[in-house]
Amino acid sequence: MTALLTDADGAGPEHRPDAPDAPAVELPLTAAQSGMWYAQSLDPPSPAQNTAECLEIDGPLDPELFAAALRRVTAEADALRVSVVDSPDGPRQRVLPSVALPLTTHDLRDASDAVRRAEEWMRADLAEPFDLTAGPLFRHALFRVGEERWLWYQRIHHLVMDGFGYSLLVRRTAQVYTALARGEAPGPRVFGTLADLVDEDAAYRSSEAFTADRTHWTEAFADRPEVPRLAGRGALPSRTFLRRTAHLGPETTEGVRELASRLRATWPDVLIAAQALYTSRATGHREVVLGLPMMGRMGSVSLRVPGMVMNVLPLRLDVSPDATFAELVRQVVLGIREVRRHQRFRYEDIRRDLRLLGENRGLVGPLVNVMPFDYAVDFAGAPARARNLSAGPVDDLTVNIYDRADGRGLRIDHDGNPALYADGELAAHQERFLNLVERLSGADPHVPTAAHGIATAAELELVLGTFNDTERALPPTTLIGPIESRAARTPEATALVYGDTSLTYEELNTRANRLARHLRTLGARPGAVVAVSVPRSVELVVSLLAVLKAGAAYLPLDPDYPEQRLAYMLRDAAPVCAVTDRAGRLPEDTGTPLVVLDGLDVSGYLWVNPSRPLTPAHPAYVIYTSGSTGRPKGVVVSHGAIDNRLRWMQSAYGLTSDDRVLQKTPSSFDVSVWEFFWPLRQGAVLVVAEPGGHRDPAYLARLIREQGVTTCHFVPSMLQVFLVEEEAKACGGLRRVFCSGEALPRETADAFGRELPGAELHNLYGPTEAAVDVTSHACAAEAAGPVPIGRPVWNTRLYVLDAALQPCPPGIPGELYLAGRQLAEGYLNRPGLTASRFVADPFGRPEERMYRTGDLAHWTAQGEAVYLGRTDDQVKLRGQRIELGEIETALTARDGVDAACALVREDRPGEQRLVGYITGGADPVAVRASLARELPEHLVPAAVVALEAFPLSPNGKLDRRALPAPVFSGGAGSRRPSNAREEALTRLFAQVLGADRVGPDDTFFDLGGTSLLAVRLVARVREEFGAELTIGSLFESPTPATLAARLGSSGPASEDALDVVLRLRGGDGRPPLFAIHPAGGIAWCYAGLSARLGPEQPVYGIQARGLVGDEALPRTLQEEASDYVRHIRAIQEHGPYRLLGWSVGGVLAHTVAVLLQEAGEQVELLALLDAFPAEQWRERPAPEEGDALTAVLRMAGFERTHERNREDVLGTLRRAGSPLAGLSDRALSKIVDIVPNHARMMREHHHRDYEGDLLFFTAAAPRAEDWLTREAWRAHVTGSIDNHDLDCTHPQLMQDRHLDDIAAVLAARLKELDA
Amino acid sequence: MALTLELIRHDVADALGEDPADIPLDENLLDYGLDSVRIMALLGRWRRDHGVKADFADLAEQPAIESWAPLLEAS
Repeated sequence: MTALLTDADGAGPEHRPDAPDAPAVELPLTAAQSGMWYAQSLDPPSPAQNTAECLEIDGPLDPELFAAALRRVTAEADALRVSVVDSPDGPRQRVLPSVALPLTTHDLRDASDAVRRAEEWMRADLAEPFDLTAGPLFRHALFRVGEERWLWYQRIHHLVMDGFGYSLLVRRTAQVYTALARGEAPGPRVFGTLADLVDEDAAYRSSEAFTADRTHWTEAFADRPEVPRLAGRGALPSRTFLRRTAHLGPETTEGVRELASRLRATWPDVLIAAQALYTSRATGHREVVLGLPMMGRMGSVSLRVPGMVMNVLPLRLDVSPDATFAELVRQVVLGIREVRRHQRFRYEDIRRDLRLLGENRGLVGPLVNVMPFDYAVDFAGAPARARNLSAGPVDDLTVNIYDRADGRGLRIDHDGNPALYADGELAAHQERFLNLVERLSGADPHVPTAAHGIATAAELELVLGTFNDTERALPPTTLIGPIESRAARTPEATALVYGDTSLTYEELNTRANRLARHLRTLGARPGAVVAVSVPRSVELVVSLLAVLKAGAAYLPLDPDYPEQRLAYMLRDAAPVCAVTDRAGRLPEDTGTPLVVLDGLDVSGYLWVNPSRPLTPAHPAYVIYTSGSTGRPKGVVVSHGAIDNRLRWMQSAYGLTSDDRVLQKTPSSFDVSVWEFFWPLRQGAVLVVAEPGGHRDPAYLARLIREQGVTTCHFVPSMLQVFLVEEEAKACGGLRRVFCSGEALPRETADAFGRELPGAELHNLYGPTEAAVDVTSHACAAEAAGPVPIGRPVWNTRLYVLDAALQPCPPGIPGELYLAGRQLAEGYLNRPGLTASRFVADPFGRPEERMYRTGDLAHWTAQGEAVYLGRTDDQVKLRGQRIELGEIETALTARDGVDAACALVREDRPGEQRLVGYITGGADPVAVRASLARELPEHLVPAAVVALEAFPLSPNGKLDRRALPAPVFSGGAGSRRPSNAREEALTRLFAQVLGADRVGPDDTFFDLGGTSLLAVRLVARVREEFGAELTIGSLFESPTPATLAARLGSSGPASEDALDVVLRLRGGDGRPPLFAIHPAGGIAWCYAGLSARLGPEQPVYGIQARGLVGDEALPRTLQEEASDYVRHIRAIQEHGPYRLLGWSVGGVLAHTVAVLLQEAGEQVELLALLDAFPAEQWRERPAPEEGDALTAVLRMAGFERTHERNREDVLGTLRRAGSPLAGLSDRALSKIVDIVPNHARMMREHHHRDYEGDLLFFTAAAPRAEDWLTREAWRAHVTGSIDNHDLDCTHPQLMQDRHLDDIAAVLAARLKELDA
Repeated sequence: MALTLELIRHDVADALGEDPADIPLDENLLDYGLDSVRIMALLGRWRRDHGVKADFADLAEQPAIESWAPLLEAS
């Protein structure tokens, strides 16, 4: 702009016609100004408080006269001559008698892009903050952009000027200029003084009206409503704002005015009502609170004072889809009338009174800023048109509507906080708003607003058509037909593997056919229901197939469910018969004939496929889900629905006969449907997990690895647990993993990508009511943000609908409805419930239905759905659907319970627990126990809390957020742990449960233990005790005491765990294996190995002397080994002996072997685990006590950090709940002595020769002691060294994965020896 | 055409959705729901149809029909 810029003014005092030579006047700030001052103080360099506008003047203009006019107006308007200083009494404004006019003029006539350059200049200027203390707080620029075309730009700090103030300044400037141009006197000053504003403000604040207004607002918002925001969240104000400008054309503007006049309202009332309607639908909230900037000058001296007076006030509206638009406008008219009566009370004061400031909560959602200010001006005949450039800070979203009384219709600016809105989102909100206004202005205002959606026509086509383009013609097959065809095509292929059993397709088909024919004799046929209550097994698969083959629908009854629940389902579903594995599994008094597989002979039945009049319309299965009224409901799914689902799945993921699919989901959960039947339709192998195995990540990892499983399903929370399992990494054979059942966190998807880079992760979504899944999304490695649930499957449509059942555009949350072929038939025997959830599909063909999921979702612009939560009380806990109403009903039904409520809490991150609250006199522990007898495990609250009364919110509703977190603490008054193991376990329990204290007889599940926490506890126990423990054993032994006893029987014995001889596994079938302790002297580390060698192989650990008694430590290894020989011979008097040792234990085992041979005994196995002979150590420095402490910590799995001495080490072990810490202080101190003693003895030892071979295991990962070599044993062994390398470090040898490999080699060798 | 008191009353009543008979000549119209938007609308109409010169502040300062009559040069 350089050459064109002429600085016409801007420096030095000027002649001021009206400026008196008076001293500066100092005034306090008005309340309105104070708000602005504080906002600016929060971020002094922010330009957010800049307001600006630009006037286009068409005609001849004299820049000199214009400057003179501005000077005069500046002299007349006090507010422009203000600077603000902070004083001990708060900020004060100093009104200077005169200021230099900050005006620049720019002649851009010769520039081809004059307007653009001018606008660039303005934009840059608008980004400059004012300095409140220095002033002046305004700035002018005049651009000549054509011969007779001018742009007048002015920027003023919001603290001194508001929108109405601008109109006063502009009108007066035009008036003065016009007079000067005509050579007339401009007339006397017309403005009131700033002091007038300050006085009026002070008078109001000490008036009764002020008190009355305060009462009004405090009462009107006593319930502190949640404010719906279009972005779904709030944010701090930014320094800038985004703006989209649009015009409501003259025709629509006229339509709005006409509609307003017909409704006896004003056009702003209509636009405010439209914005309320838009906000309500776009946020899914019936109640909205809009912010209304009010000019606040009616009937006040401020009508003639340019300054900052405006206020923002909340307008609360109830936007019901059933009410008409006319009614909504009426509500606006009356609401504004009410607001206006109390409009002088400041927005900032309302927020403070409601205590919203401290919580950083907003009072209002979007602002609708109507500016009908009088701009009918001309400059000596040259007409002017005003354009706002900045209306001040934008907290969220502001819709500015200008009526300049210039006959050009309405200009509408959407200003957005860039922290909340992207440019495209703001544009979409504006386009939809204008579109809605246009439709409303042409529509009958006396029909319910439900008739109007917020999506534009193009958006409707997108969300209804393009995103749902899923139609696919499919053959009319059933769930079972393709399985029978497959069995005929590949009879010899393996169909199913369960433990050691495997069945070919022909074998499976034959067994199912025979049972099917038996079931037919009991009434199984198309349309009938047959219950199946069989734990996971070959028989379960055969039974399900048999029911389907007979043409009936199967009803899975989880054998783990309480009897009462099973009885309810049997009565409700009235199956023709029920298949169970053994007698006593099902209640016998329900009248249902039982088919008990145990002892049933069906060999007399024909082996071929039974014929049956089955069509896709017949039901395939009935699965019960939680019901909100307390009664579970049976969902009936047809063959056509599930067949569509499986055909889509095959086309999407292409299962082949090479694939092996894991069946681990309980049959009562509909994910199991595809697990059972998809592989059998495609010729793949079905790998069936053990009952209970689905809860145990370590078991699953082993099964997946051993069975070469390629395809499986996880509920996301279980996937999370699985991925941290050490063995998960080794599941490299997995090709695809499916997630469903609950929201898949992005972190879990990312962790999956890291742990299992070779496998795909697919996120699926669907309710039982729509044949398992209706959407899918393939997780990508680089993606961010929530994982979408994805696109609809074949012949399936998703609708995201607002409260009026109008489609939501992309990005707008609504309730998810499902339509298409996969919809269930409905709920068994519940026509009313069915009709309320399966409703007519207004977007489909006649007679088509849609299912209301109760889930909240929105579309992405790419056509994927994103899950956002629930519309009701239904919750998902670890993939299980839970109706809180069902639990509340069950709680209320107990004696002594007056009222109840249930909810899912997350008091520790990632740990969701179901908690029940009751009032009345009932004992909460007893209530929980009685619930556990009636409800399936997942519906039983982790805790029941008794309350005096329920906390209520100000409007009398239950305040769920105020419900106390349950205190999980047992042990009150209970006995002390009776031994080290119990004590260690009580600590582990407390740690995992987050409880203060746990007694030895407290039950894990009574203290809030969930199945996920159980997984964590078992992992800790395995880690700390080296004991083999399954999740199932925790369910069977859920207290520290019982668990300690159980560990005692399978792992190291509890009472005498520190004796020299530790019986890891007894028995006398085979010669025992003696495993000698490593440096610390404790042999617990061999428990895992013992478990892997099987029940037939006795294993004894040999531990260091002196851990319990007061015995002296041995002086030499020879002495120590001689001692062990005595103990070994006490168990096994004569050879052949089998010896093993890890680390120092290996050196000892070699020495023991030599001593035994020298005594004339035979040693048939000497196995050394990463152990190296004495001379390799001799020249190396022996560890000090300090290193011994490090060794002790390592035994417990810790790296040493801050621990200085043995007290510190003991403290760390105790805090961590290590079983070592459960030892007496004396025993621990002893270990600290034993470690360096072994180091010393090792260095002094001299080996003699062992006659025979060595079985050796090397920890082959690189190590610091690179001088260690097993070859050194050659000098002390006459036979060969049979070495096995393991890819791990020395300490990792005893971890699960490597133990598997060691055990495999050892077992093979032991088998040879036995033979 | 010059404005009359009755015309003013008629237009104000129209803007407020009331019957002209219910609009007093000497009372504060703000109490009857008159607001800035309505004043602007009335002003625009009167400027267009009657060549009125008064501005917004003039009317908003004393919002009563009797006070307006001289400003609007009504007879």
